[in-house]
Amino acid sequence: MNIPMFTLLVGIPLVSSPVVYLFGRLTTRAQVLTRQGWIVRFLALLAVAATWFPFVNLWLEFQAGGRRMFFNIESIWLQMDGISFLLAAMVLTLGTLAILFSGRYMAGDFGEEKYYAMLLAMIGLMIGLGCANDLFNLWVWFEAMAVSSYLLVAFYREQPGSLEAGMKYVVQSAVGSALALLGVALVLAQTGTLDMDQIRLMVGTMELNQVGLLAAGALFFIGFGVKVAMVPLHTWLPDAHSQAPSGISAMLSGVVIEAGLVAMLRALSTLTGYSLSWGWLLLAFGALNMLYGNLLALQQTQVKRMLAFSSLSHIGYILMGLGIALVSGQPAGAQGASFHLFTHMLMKGLAFLAVGAVMYALFHEQGIHRPLVAHDLNGISTRYPWVALSLSIALLALGGLPPLAGFMSKWQIFVAGFQSGDGWLMGFVVFAAVNSVISLAYYAPLVNRMYRRVTARSVKKGSASISWTLQLPLLLMALAVVVLGLFPSLMNWLTEPAGAALMSIFK
Amino acid sequence: MTLFNILMIAVACLLGVGLYGLLITRNLIKIVVVLQLLVKSVVLAFVLAGKVSGHPGIGESVAATVIVADTIVAVVALALAVQVRIRFGTLDIPKISSLRG
Repeated sequence: MNIPMFTLLVGIPLVSSPVVYLFGRLTTRAQVLTRQGWIVRFLALLAVAATWFPFVNLWLEFQAGGRRMFFNIESIWLQMDGISFLLAAMVLTLGTLAILFSGRYMAGDFGEEKYYAMLLAMIGLMIGLGCANDLFNLWVWFEAMAVSSYLLVAFYREQPGSLEAGMKYVVQSAVGSALALLGVALVLAQTGTLDMDQIRLMVGTMELNQVGLLAAGALFFIGFGVKVAMVPLHTWLPDAHSQAPSGISAMLSGVVIEAGLVAMLRALSTLTGYSLSWGWLLLAFGALNMLYGNLLALQQTQVKRMLAFSSLSHIGYILMGLGIALVSGQPAGAQGASFHLFTHMLMKGLAFLAVGAVMYALFHEQGIHRPLVAHDLNGISTRYPWVALSLSIALLALGGLPPLAGFMSKWQIFVAGFQSGDGWLMGFVVFAAVNSVISLAYYAPLVNRMYRRVTARSVKKGSASISWTLQLPLLLMALAVVVLGLFPSLMNWLTEPAGAALMSIFK
Repeated sequence: MTLFNILMIAVACLLGVGLYGLLITRNLIKIVVVLQLLVKSVVLAFVLAGKVSGHPGIGESVAATVIVADTIVAVVALALAVQVRIRFGTLDIPKISSLRG
């Protein structure tokens, strides 16, 4: 039997999700007292590692052939372009590392098999989301991804905080997706089709009801904007990111909100014929996100909550890069934004996982469940030197210190803004640079705490060392952050097609 | 008053009721009900959109799929509501908010 590569790319994680769950259940039933958790962990890791095989194959095909590839699963047609590959690469990289990390972190937790099953499903659905070729299909992937993330956010269901965060997330996200769906209905009423290419063509050439299209654009912006956490619509994010298990926090912050952004861009791109001013809107929301995220992050005492607010400001940089590209019509901004999407995934994923490793050593192993506050980081470098080192690299890279990856990706966006020669765009870039400096005000003190303060009492009570299975993903990511900072052109193979694809759908 | 107009008014009314309900409702179960109303207006809008554009098949098949997808969200939300009731002993939203900032 000859299964197409694309079906494998989406199919392996989706099919292995129920398989992992069943194996987990069956082995638990057989021996009630000794849970065979390693089977579940191993299967999950195997599934995500196997997904790399179709990805690499498709990538080689993409590079050798034309610029876009089309595939069908029965009568549903999907596409693979630069954006799909960028999203798939991000999801697979972080997914592999998060599953590797969770092996020890989630070991013995109640319902471990459900955790891996939902995580694998989320990985497959996000890869599919990037490949959607029609508006309704896009919404279905989006909604399915959202459902799997609701369950993961509320995973610690005995914790009041995570239940509350999960409930907030479900309600806000459900309203958002209902509004986005209404936008799809408006577009369908105008054009009679759901195929994105056809809609783009019709909006550009035919006389359609302008009010209807404007309303559809606004609904896409608001509806998908809830998932992207654009500032007035962000209130679910700090709760969800800080209450979820650390592996999931990394996934949520590193790829899920970015997947929402991809969905929003794909939907908005169908309406470019109607108006090209979406770019200015993205710039305005980008600036708002940066400022608000930074100011709120400054006030936080819980480390994971601070990182969640810093995600808001990083989404701001990405929105600004995209806005610069759309306003100036140059692909440099889009390429910079794609690069920042990738580096943010690495840096924020690393930061959340490193914080998770500290939480595991200080609290989880002692059976305590409480949030990690900044004070708990005091002097951890003496006990957990590698974790402290990788967390410091992540924080300094997030703050944009050269020569780390975060600096390089921000730099690409800033250069794109200045090269456009537009006074307003330069103004936005200066604003972003100021924000980047503000953000160091909450990243740098944490590094100071880890290395220069007297060891906190909670750290002294923590376990003596951190297992290597927890530290390995951290060190790999820290290495990647440093290497990408020194050689940013290493990622051009991924970001260049993504930038070009973004420019071509917004033409 | 044609069927088209009646449907149009129904969509607008359901949407209005849904959005207004979201603003005033404080009970978790009722919020799930209100969310259902909101999505049902969108389902109706799809049927209408299919009719208007001359492709009723697309609109109706989408509507059927949305009903399924939406039921899953409702199930997840209700499951969470059950857990909230067990842990907090209440379904009233102002009483369960502890996360700030």
